[in-house]
Parts: sequence; structure tokens; C-alpha cells
Amino acid sequence: MVQERAAFPTFSQEPIRLIDPDGRWVAPFPHGLSAQELRRFYRDMLAARLLDEKLVVLVRTGKTSFIAPHAGHEAAQVGIAHALQRGHDWLFPYYRDLGLVLAMGVPLPEIFGQTLGNAADPAKGRQMPSHPGSRSLNIFTVCSAIASHIPPAVGAAISMKLRRTGQVAVCTFGDGATSEGDWHAGVNFAAVQRAPVVFVCENNRYAISVNIAQQTASENIAIKAKAYGIPGYHVDGLDVLASYSVVRYAVERARAGEGPSLVELVVHRFGPHSSADDDTRYKSKEELSAERRQDPLLRYQRFLEREGLWDAQWANELRLEIAKELEAALQEAQAAGEPDPLQMFDDVFAARPWHLEEQRRLLAEELEA
Amino acid sequence: MPTVTLVQAINMALDEELRRDERVLILGEDVGRRGGVFLATEGLQQKYGPDRVMDTPLSEAAILGAAVGLAAHGMRPVAEIQFADYVFPGIDQLFSQAAKLRYRSGGQFTAPMVVRMPSGGGVKGGHHHSQSPEAHFAHTPGLKVVVVSTPYDAKGLLKSAIRDDDPVVFMEPKRLYRAVKEEVPTDEYLLPIGKAAVRREGRDITLVSYGGPMVETLKAAEEMAAAGVEAEVIDLRTVLPWDKEAVLASVVKTGRLLVVSEAPRTASIASEVAATVSEELFDQLLAPPLRVTGFDTPYPLAQDKLYMPTVTRILNAAKRLLDY
Repeated sequence: MVQERAAFPTFSQEPIRLIDPDGRWVAPFPHGLSAQELRRFYRDMLAARLLDEKLVVLVRTGKTSFIAPHAGHEAAQVGIAHALQRGHDWLFPYYRDLGLVLAMGVPLPEIFGQTLGNAADPAKGRQMPSHPGSRSLNIFTVCSAIASHIPPAVGAAISMKLRRTGQVAVCTFGDGATSEGDWHAGVNFAAVQRAPVVFVCENNRYAISVNIAQQTASENIAIKAKAYGIPGYHVDGLDVLASYSVVRYAVERARAGEGPSLVELVVHRFGPHSSADDDTRYKSKEELSAERRQDPLLRYQRFLEREGLWDAQWANELRLEIAKELEAALQEAQAAGEPDPLQMFDDVFAARPWHLEEQRRLLAEELEA
Repeated sequence: MPTVTLVQAINMALDEELRRDERVLILGEDVGRRGGVFLATEGLQQKYGPDRVMDTPLSEAAILGAAVGLAAHGMRPVAEIQFADYVFPGIDQLFSQAAKLRYRSGGQFTAPMVVRMPSGGGVKGGHHHSQSPEAHFAHTPGLKVVVVSTPYDAKGLLKSAIRDDDPVVFMEPKRLYRAVKEEVPTDEYLLPIGKAAVRREGRDITLVSYGGPMVETLKAAEEMAAAGVEAEVIDLRTVLPWDKEAVLASVVKTGRLLVVSEAPRTASIASEVAATVSEELFDQLLAPPLRVTGFDTPYPLAQDKLYMPTVTRILNAAKRLLDY
């Protein structure tokens, strides 16, 4: 499997790129994707963008408290989603991955339910928005604590290896996460164990306001892999086909027992860190507009145009269709209503010990009064 | 029935569970070839191989975090932290991941794992080989916390912890590893998490303790008996969830409570037990509940034996209660 795929250069100085900013296919090999698959990538990227826009409206209208916008990350996230075997492989995402989990197949009403923290949330409204998870899709529920999901991804991958399940764990994170001790602990252990895990950094060069130059003195993120004895791939994350192809290569390499790798997808973060942040305090107008001009959706549109796969009417209909889906899903989620407050005491343990029973009774009495 | 030490009983439990369930796996620093620095895992890697008794890099975050992922994916990991004092580099994995995984996912993902760690003082280990951090764990919703004091309990409770569907912090007082011996069945038995044991029956005063200071507490009870005072001695065995029913039943009988622990006093398990008894049995108490604990200092080297509750300190506190 791995041998049949194009191998990508490790530790390249220039980012690996298959589509240039003008939409030209620049790789020396064919992409091997059908017209339908290529269009599907666009649909997923557009859905991710429109979801992001919808979430911004939900915050601005006071319907939810928080979001971590993913606009600018769509090519990277859609590329990752298509690189793994959905429902078989495991994904360990971070909080800026709503576009990724949507492309992985998490139903929109669940995403909105989690955003609203109501009864439509499979996690029962336990966490702030932008913290999805899905047992049925093997998507490990997001934890706010930066890089804390990296050692668990490694543990799951060790289990996959020991039990020969043929699965791979894919773990995503931002550039800031690479400074955490847990990141080092996890990557090092995975490398020693040759565990089937792929570490994917969505490097938007900002950890809230801290620029990559204050984050690391390494020339890029991918090069860090060298010290752990695993391959590192420096990739243009605004290029959906490069993101997909390199992550897919790393995933199949891991599946074949060749161990972990680190893939760096260099992206832009078009929005602020979160709805509670103001990025104009640390990014200039020029920088913001220069980033916006490098929109991954536009680049991919140019590619589809060159390939003769673009049709303005198709794109318009797609946009309307997704907008309708988003609105319908939001309505469905909103209709679910508030979760039962006494659910607060569930899932601390498999069964409630006496002290939680007592505390639950206390709240129940207060609510009945 | 063989007579074994506490650390041998731990080894028996691990051996039995590795044999019983293929999903059980041990990971930690020096647990494989070396058999652990206290030899708790001696001989197990030879028997079950390096994949099931796994030497890890020197990283508590890697050990505990990997245990979370192994457990979430369906294994039953038993992680060893070489000394309780060294759990702190991995505490985010225990507190943010293991303890909250079931809750934050709404029950979709779970982390059934055991974290074994030698704890407590009395071995001239200074402050980084002597601490009793159980209150930290008990204060973090989502973790069960067991502290053993006998070989029989160690085997039965460790086997239960491995089969438990929630993360269990399993603390082993290192000064008792080879200090206590008793007959332990080679047959299968399990002890319930959350149940205390009455070590001695009495009607005059209730002494509640757990872990290392069980030794001094029982000695104090013997001395009291020689002076005609019958102390009831309860070993909590599990500090979260602790056995309130057993403690209350005893204090209803005696009217006097003394809690003994070697952990620092402020915000401790001893304080929790004393506060609960005060709240629930105020009008049946003959004296205010008292605590004999470690001091609120870092654990000192030179005063190793003085830091921990001494028999004298326990007897003095009991006298205050009896003379009240």
C-alpha cells in the first residue's frame, strides 16, 4: 500500500505543495482522485466555512457563549478527514477542529447541540462549545488542556499495535501545543514504541496572540520530529490535496507498521483565537488582509476550474443546500431543550457513590421547592 | 496458604490479573527487566513478555497519558508511578484526562485504569520519597482512591481496582511493603472498593485510620486496652469514596472519634471524616472529633519518625477525648 503511493520528502525547507496559489497542479505524479472525490473535498471545505460563519452569528446573537473559529484551516481539516478510515481509525482532535469533525461525519445537530450545551449534545452539555466528540465515529472528546490528548492518542495507538486491529490514531493540535511537556512525552513514547499514530500540527503561527517566533526557535514544526527519530513533513496546509496526500501517506505508513510521523500543515487563522479574543490587538490590518487573500477555498476553486470541474451554478446550489442543512440542523438542536439538571451527577463514575447520591438529593430538593 | 509481605501480595494480584485477562497490561519506569524498584512486578515481564509488562521512558505524563488512551481503547492498564511524589509531572493526565473523560464525553469514553504508587514516609526518603498526596486525588472528582495497609487487603483490593470501570489511584505505604506479613490465599478473592474494615472492636472510642499509621493506631489501641479503655479501630482502606456508614455506626456506639493519618492536616481526608461526623452526629458526640496527622510542613528528612503520628501523640489525643 505504502509503496504504491508517492513518497513525500521529509524535513523539506519549502512546504510540500501540490496545487500552487494559482490552482495549478505542480506535483510530478497524478493525484489519483475521481472527479466526484475532488468535488467532495470542495463541498466539505465549503460546509466547514459556512458552519464557521453560522457559529459566529450564534455568538453575536447571544445564542452561545463561545466558539473557536476554524476559518482558514478548512483545506487542512478536510484533507485530514479524508486521509483516515472513518469509523475505523481514531481521531484525537483539539478545540479548533469543528470543520474536521464535520467532514468526519459528526451530524450537524450534534455539533449545534454541543455548541448550545443542550440536550442535543451527546456529551450532555458538559463542556464549553468547540469541544466535540463521538464514540460511534471514534472521535475522542476534546479536552481544553492543551496537548493533554497527545499521550492518550499514543496509548490508544499502542493498544492498536498490541491487538493488531489495523487501526491508526490521528492526533491534531496547534503550534502552541508543541511547547507543552505532554507533547514531548507523547511523541517520544510513540517513537520508542513505533506506535501507529500520526501527529498533525495545524500551524496557524499564533497561540492566541503569541507568534510562532516567540513559541519556538526551530525553523519549523516538522523539523522537531528529527530529534525523536521519526519523519517530519512540512506541508502547505492551504492546499487541500497536499494536506490530504501527505496525511494519507503518513496514515498508511503507520498502518503498515512503520511507526509514527509528524505532519505540519501551515495554515492561516482568519478569525480571532476565540469569540472572546480580539486579533486586531496583535495582528496588523495588512497581515490580516494578506492572510485573507490566501483563502484555501479560492485556491481550490481555481484548481477545479483548471480541471474543468467547476460550475458556478453547481457551486451556488451547493452553497444554498449547505445553508439549508445548517439552518435545519440548528432548529433541530434548539428544539432539544435544556438537559435535565440532575444529569450533573451522572458519569462522574460508572455508578454514583453515596456522597454523589447525597449531593444529588440536595439539588433535587432545591429544584422541587 | 503462603505467608507473604504486602509487596508480594501486590505481585500476586498483578500476576493473577495478567493471567486472567489479556487486556491487562503493566506500564511504568523499571517495571520490566528490573521488576520495579520495590520489586512489586518482579518476574512478571519474564512470564508475560515486554508488551504486557512494559518499561517506559522516564515520563509520568507519558505513562499516565498512555494509560488513558490504552483504557479508552479497551485495555486494562496498570500504571506504576515509582514514588507518589513523582506523580506531579503526570498530574494533568490524571486530573484533566483520566478523571474527567467519562464526564466530559457524557459517558461515551471511559478510562478504566489503575495507578499504583508507593506512598508515605518512614523510610528516610526526605520530602520527595515520603509524601502522602491522597487528598489531591480525593479532591478531584472522577478518581477512586485506595490506600492499603495489609497484604490480604492489598491483593483483594488491587484485583478489584483492575476490574473497576473507573480510574483508581492505588496507594501502597512503602514502609509497610516488607514490614507486615500474613497468610494470603492463592485462590481468587476480591474485596470491595469503598468498604472499611473494623480491625478491633471496642465501645469507648473510635480510632479511624488508613495506610501506614494503621500500625501506630493499633499499637495505641493495645496500650489503651492495657489501661482498661476499649478502642474500636477502623481501617478506611478506601479514602474516596470512604465508608461513611461504617464510621458513623462506630461513633454512634462510642461517642468519640479520633482520625489518624500521616498526610498534612489542612484540607485532609482526616478533616473530611471529622467534619462529616460532626455534621451528622453532633448531638450524639461526647467530645469534639480530633485529628492526629502529619504536620503542615514539607516532609522532613531528619525528623522522619517525628513527622508521622506517633503512638504517644495518638494516646494523648485519645486521652483528651476520654477526659473531655
